[in-house]
Amino acid sequence: MQAILETIDLKMTYRVGKVDVHALRGITLTVNRGEYIAIMGPSGCGKSTLLHVAGGMLTPTSGRLIIDGEDVTAMTDAQRTEMRRRKIGFVFQRFNLFPTLTAEGNLKLAERIYSKHRNGAESEARRRILKLLKLEEKMHHKPLELSGGEQQRVAIARAVVNQPALILADEPTGNLDSENSKVVLDMLRGLNEELGQTIVMITHNPEAAGRADRVVEMRDGLIVSNDALVRG
Amino acid sequence: MDSLSLANLRQRPLRTAVSMAGVSLGVVLVTLMGGLTRGMTRDAANRQSNVDAEIRFLPGGPISITTSNPLMLSARYADALLHGIQPTPDNPAVEARPPVAGVMAATPVGQYLQAAGAIGFELVDGVDFQSLKDTSRIRIIKGHGLGDGSDEQSAHEAIVDKYYAEKNVGLDNHPVRVGSSIKVLDQTFTVAGIYDPPMLARVKIPLKTMQELFGGADNCSFVMIKVEKPEMIKQVIDTLNEYYPGNNVIPTSEIPALYSQNLFAVDVLLDVVVGLASVISTLVILLGMYTTITERTREIGILKSLGASKRLIVSIIEREAALISLLGVILGFVLSVIGRYSIQSSTRLIVDLDLKWILIAATIGMLGGLLGAFYPAVRAANLDPVEALSYE
Repeated sequence: MQAILETIDLKMTYRVGKVDVHALRGITLTVNRGEYIAIMGPSGCGKSTLLHVAGGMLTPTSGRLIIDGEDVTAMTDAQRTEMRRRKIGFVFQRFNLFPTLTAEGNLKLAERIYSKHRNGAESEARRRILKLLKLEEKMHHKPLELSGGEQQRVAIARAVVNQPALILADEPTGNLDSENSKVVLDMLRGLNEELGQTIVMITHNPEAAGRADRVVEMRDGLIVSNDALVRG
Repeated sequence: MDSLSLANLRQRPLRTAVSMAGVSLGVVLVTLMGGLTRGMTRDAANRQSNVDAEIRFLPGGPISITTSNPLMLSARYADALLHGIQPTPDNPAVEARPPVAGVMAATPVGQYLQAAGAIGFELVDGVDFQSLKDTSRIRIIKGHGLGDGSDEQSAHEAIVDKYYAEKNVGLDNHPVRVGSSIKVLDQTFTVAGIYDPPMLARVKIPLKTMQELFGGADNCSFVMIKVEKPEMIKQVIDTLNEYYPGNNVIPTSEIPALYSQNLFAVDVLLDVVVGLASVISTLVILLGMYTTITERTREIGILKSLGASKRLIVSIIEREAALISLLGVILGFVLSVIGRYSIQSSTRLIVDLDLKWILIAATIGMLGGLLGAFYPAVRAANLDPVEALSYE
C-alpha cells in the first residue's frame, strides 16, 4: 500500500523560557492511502504537535516527514505552504470558518486558494461533497446561522473540497454534543469509505476513536500503541 | 478573495467608515486647496488680461504682480508715451523723447493687495478713469464712473464689478449697490457705479486718492498701453525698451503665465498640503488595518492552514485597503464638490476642481492606502500559523 504520511524518528523540542520541552521524542508512524486512523492520548502528550508538524505548520527539530512521497523535512517555509495547499485539509475543533462568509463562500475561498484559475462556478467535487455531507440547503447561510454540527460539516467540506491526499482533524467532535458528534463521525467515515479519503484524527473520545481503522496512542511524546481495530 | 475583502468591510462598518473618512479628508484637502489656488489664480489672471490694452509697462527689477510697495513707477509715463517728453523751464535737463509710434492710449494704474473678509484678500485698483476708458472696454452699467479724485466727493468714490456687488455687503450689511458705503484701504468709500466686464481688481478708486494714501507721489504700479493695430505690438515694445530702458515691458497675453510663476509661496503651501494628505491617508489606513489584522489573527491562521502563501495574504489585505481607499477617494470627491459649492456661495473665493488636482488627490488616496496597509499585511503574512490559530 502507498504511504501518504510517513514519519521517521520525528522529534520536536520547544524552548519555553530556559526550559526545553520535548513535545515529540521520536515518532515513527506510517499512514497508508485510504486509511482512517485516530490518535489518542492525554493532554500534553504531543498529539496536536504531531498534527501541526504533519500539516507543515511546524518544523520538526529532527527526523523525517514524508507526505505523499515528498520529503517535507528539507522544505522551506514557502514549499511547506505549497505542500499544505496541494495535499492537506485541516478540520479543527473550533470549526474555524470565516464568519463573514457564507458556507459557500468558505468553500469557494478554499477552492480559490487551491487554484487561482478556478472560477466561481460550482465544481463537480464541491457538488459531490455537499451532497455527501447533506449541506446543499445550507450553502447561503453564514456560520453563526448554523448549528455546531452544521458548521463542522461545512469545515469538513472545506477541508475535502480540493481532494487533498490527507485530512488532519484536530478533535473534530470536541465542541459538539453527542448527537452532532455522531453525525460528524458518520460523515468522516462516509468520506473515507466512499471517496477513499485518508484521515488522521486526534480525539479524546473513545467512541470517536472506535470509528477509525486504527488507533494510535501517545504518551509523553511517544507512540505507546498502534493497533488496528477489528470491526464486528 | 474579493468577496472576503468585501465581507470584511461590511462586517466592520464603523472601522470602514472611519478609514474612508481619513482617506477622504486627504482627498478634500488636496482637491480644495489645489482647486482654490487654481481658481483664484485663474480668476485674477483673467481679470488682469481682460482688458483691451495689449502691453503693460512696469518698473524695472523682478516683476511682481502683487507687491507691498505698490506705487513704484512714475504715472507721468502714460503721458510721455503718448506725447513725448520735452525739456521745460522747470526741468531743462530732462532728455527729450518723441511720442512712441503706434501707441493709441495709455493709462496709469495703481494696485494694492488688501486683506478682505474672514478668509482671502483682494486687489484694489487706483485708476485714472478717463484714460482707462480709452484703453479698455469698461462700461458703467449702474451709477456713474469715477472722477479724478481731486475734490472731496470724487476722492472717496469707488466703482465695483458685478461679481463684487453680488457677493458682498456694504457697511449697512445690505448687498452692495450704487450708494453703498464700503471699506477700502481702511477708508470709507461710496460706491458710485457698477462696471462690466470684470478686469484687474474688482474695486477701483481714483488713482489720485491711492497716491495720497501712499505718500502723495505721482506714481502708479504700471501703465497699460493700447496700440493702434495688434501687429504693432512688437514694434511698440521694442521702442519702449529703446526709449525707456531699465523698465519691464510685457505683452498682456503673458500675464496669466506670469501670475503662475509668481505663486511660488502658494506652490510650497500646496506641497505641504499634499504631503500632509499623504501622511493622513497612510496613517489612517495603517492604524485601521493594523487593528483589523490583530482582530483577525485567527483568520490569518485559517488562511495559512488552507495553504495561502504570504504573497496571497498580503494581496488579500492590500485589496481590502484598496477598496477602502477607493471608497474614501469617491467620498472625498463628493465632499469636495459640496465644499466647493459651500465656499463659493458663502465667500468671494473661487474653486476650480480641475483634473490635475483630482488625479493627484486620487493617487495620494490610493497610494497612501496601499502603503499604509503594507506593514500590517507583511506582519500578518509572517504570523506563525499555529500561534495565529490559537489566538483568542
